[in-house]
Amino acid sequence: MTNLLLLCIFTVIQFDMFFKLDATAGQPLYLQLMQQIRHATETGALKDGDQLPGIRTLAEKLVVSPNTIAKAYSELEHEGLLELRHGSGAFVCVKRRIRSMADSVHAARRRIRDLIERLRDDGLIDEEIRRAFEAELLFPVEIASKR
Amino acid sequence: MTSEPAILTHGLTKSYGHDDAVRGLDLSIGRNRITAFLGRNGAGKSTTIKMLLGLIRPTSGSGTVLGKQITDAEQNRRMRQRVAYVAEDKSLYGYMTVEQTINFARSFYSDWHVDAEKKLLLDSELPANRKVKSLSKGMRTKLALLLAFARRPELLILDEPSEGLDPVGIEDLLRTLVSCSADGVSVFFSSHQIAEVERVADHICILDKGCLLMDASVDQLRQSYRRIDMVFPSPPPEREFQISGVKRIRTAGNQVRIFSSGNAEAVVERARNLRVVSVEVAPVGLRDVFLETVREN
Amino acid sequence: MLWYKAWLETRSRFLTSLATLTIFSSIFVHHALYIACLNTFPCPEEVRHSGWRSEFHFLLFVNQQYVVLMWILAVVLLGMGGLLREKALGTSSLTLTLPVSRARLMRVRVAMGIFQAIVLGVVPWLAVLIISFRAGMPISVAQVGFYILLLVGGGLIYFAMAVLVSSLVSGEYTAPALTFGAVLLGAMLFDNWLRRFNVWRLVTGDFSIDRNTFLLSKQVPWPGLLGSLCVAALMLLASVIAVQRKEF
Repeated sequence: MTNLLLLCIFTVIQFDMFFKLDATAGQPLYLQLMQQIRHATETGALKDGDQLPGIRTLAEKLVVSPNTIAKAYSELEHEGLLELRHGSGAFVCVKRRIRSMADSVHAARRRIRDLIERLRDDGLIDEEIRRAFEAELLFPVEIASKR
Repeated sequence: MTSEPAILTHGLTKSYGHDDAVRGLDLSIGRNRITAFLGRNGAGKSTTIKMLLGLIRPTSGSGTVLGKQITDAEQNRRMRQRVAYVAEDKSLYGYMTVEQTINFARSFYSDWHVDAEKKLLLDSELPANRKVKSLSKGMRTKLALLLAFARRPELLILDEPSEGLDPVGIEDLLRTLVSCSADGVSVFFSSHQIAEVERVADHICILDKGCLLMDASVDQLRQSYRRIDMVFPSPPPEREFQISGVKRIRTAGNQVRIFSSGNAEAVVERARNLRVVSVEVAPVGLRDVFLETVREN
Repeated sequence: MLWYKAWLETRSRFLTSLATLTIFSSIFVHHALYIACLNTFPCPEEVRHSGWRSEFHFLLFVNQQYVVLMWILAVVLLGMGGLLREKALGTSSLTLTLPVSRARLMRVRVAMGIFQAIVLGVVPWLAVLIISFRAGMPISVAQVGFYILLLVGGGLIYFAMAVLVSSLVSGEYTAPALTFGAVLLGAMLFDNWLRRFNVWRLVTGDFSIDRNTFLLSKQVPWPGLLGSLCVAALMLLASVIAVQRKEF
């Protein structure tokens, strides 16, 4: 009986997440949200089967247009990361290949950590390092490869 | 729902003698999204909205709101049943109490949601039996907005809704706007609060001196507008950077600052060809987009 | 709930006028009757014996003169307000964006005003009727009806004038001042050149009074009343058109 009760409570509890969208960051808000949801699945904050807040709920919480949320969810559904069940909401479905992406993200972070240490040794302050990263990130990949 | 725009105007013009408050305006405001109307004081935003609602007659041009002709009194009246509007001055009848005002407004609209009304009334902490004339400005603003937000119309038109509200009130306002939008209400609001617009608007229209200068999606602006700061070994000629998309070039000695609405990569490539020492590309906030667009005009 | 709004807007003007008119008429007729009845109520037999003589009818005629003055004042004030005044007060953007036509807004305002004008004509005279009955000197109901008919039938033109002026001018003091000015000017001008068409004389009973008996003669001046009402209707129509054309 208590197991049944727990099961009911568990399925009703929606996931409460911390997202932060920056309206001045030069990147569409829906892309930022997509990245943050992806990141959450990679770090394990969101697991397979977890339910994301509904469009209205999340829009009200973040105080952004519902179209932003809808677009992010829709794009993630195209990528296969989310499953939108009509009437119930958005559910995470983390597949194996995305799991391995989490590993490559971990590896990337290790490399970045080393790079930052070296840049600091070279005498750059953190603010300069951050700006350099941002400046390079705003270029499309093609320009870099053209050189 | 139909795919016709919520608001559509053709060459809408309003002249007062020699002055053109609104000039040849071709507006197209889409449904099911939040559109912000930006402009300086006196740009013609309120005049445009008043023409849409039949308060003022256009000198020339035409327009439709929800498919109804704005210049036809009867069509405009029927359209107003499906549109909620809050004026810049947040008009209310001073001699009515808060409760009487709400009852009064409710009696005219079939799209009134009593639960939304009750919730808004509770959250706003408005005293039901106090006369409007003895309410503070902030309370009056909240009441005026409540009369619109207690409804679920097809279109919501707000003229400077955040004026007179404290930061908490503004946050509540934005949250309510978002909530309405989630219910399928198309939102069209004019504002000076660029920070707020940036957060919730899907689309913006910039009006200046009666003319429409920009009609763009906010995401698109975020992706394409860039500020590029460059340092060269020696001052480069400005004409090198007259590339499409470049809006403004400022030079100070060896430094060049470029403001572009797209095509930042081409600028950077040109800079590299000119042996640039340092290049920094940064995003541009909506405030700067607005200021640059208006300054150009 | 436009009626409710119209009521709230005119309530104090209306009730004040109603009280003033009723109290004045009541006191005036009561005192005059008291004196005529040799300071006792019910009226003693020797006074009642001769019935309503011309002196008593003169009383009613004088009452009407005062009533007309106060009634015109009241209906002119009741005719004030409207959309132009709302614009000056800053409430027009709420009223005009309601899903109702400007014509309907005017209709409700005018209908409320006409209803109030009728009540303002009937109630004071009703009070006079009641007082006269209680004094033991009942007045002819027909005479009272005649006075009311003259007042309201002929006098609505003043209300219409007020509505028209307030549809053209928005000042809080300018509009009533202009209307009163027009009323007085009209009365004076008409008196000099077109006395037959002077509405003031029509409503006070001047054209209908028999100077010997001070009874209103049997013929109700229908042409005059209808003519006045027609002009009133035209003025109201002009007001609606003026408001429909105005930019807010």
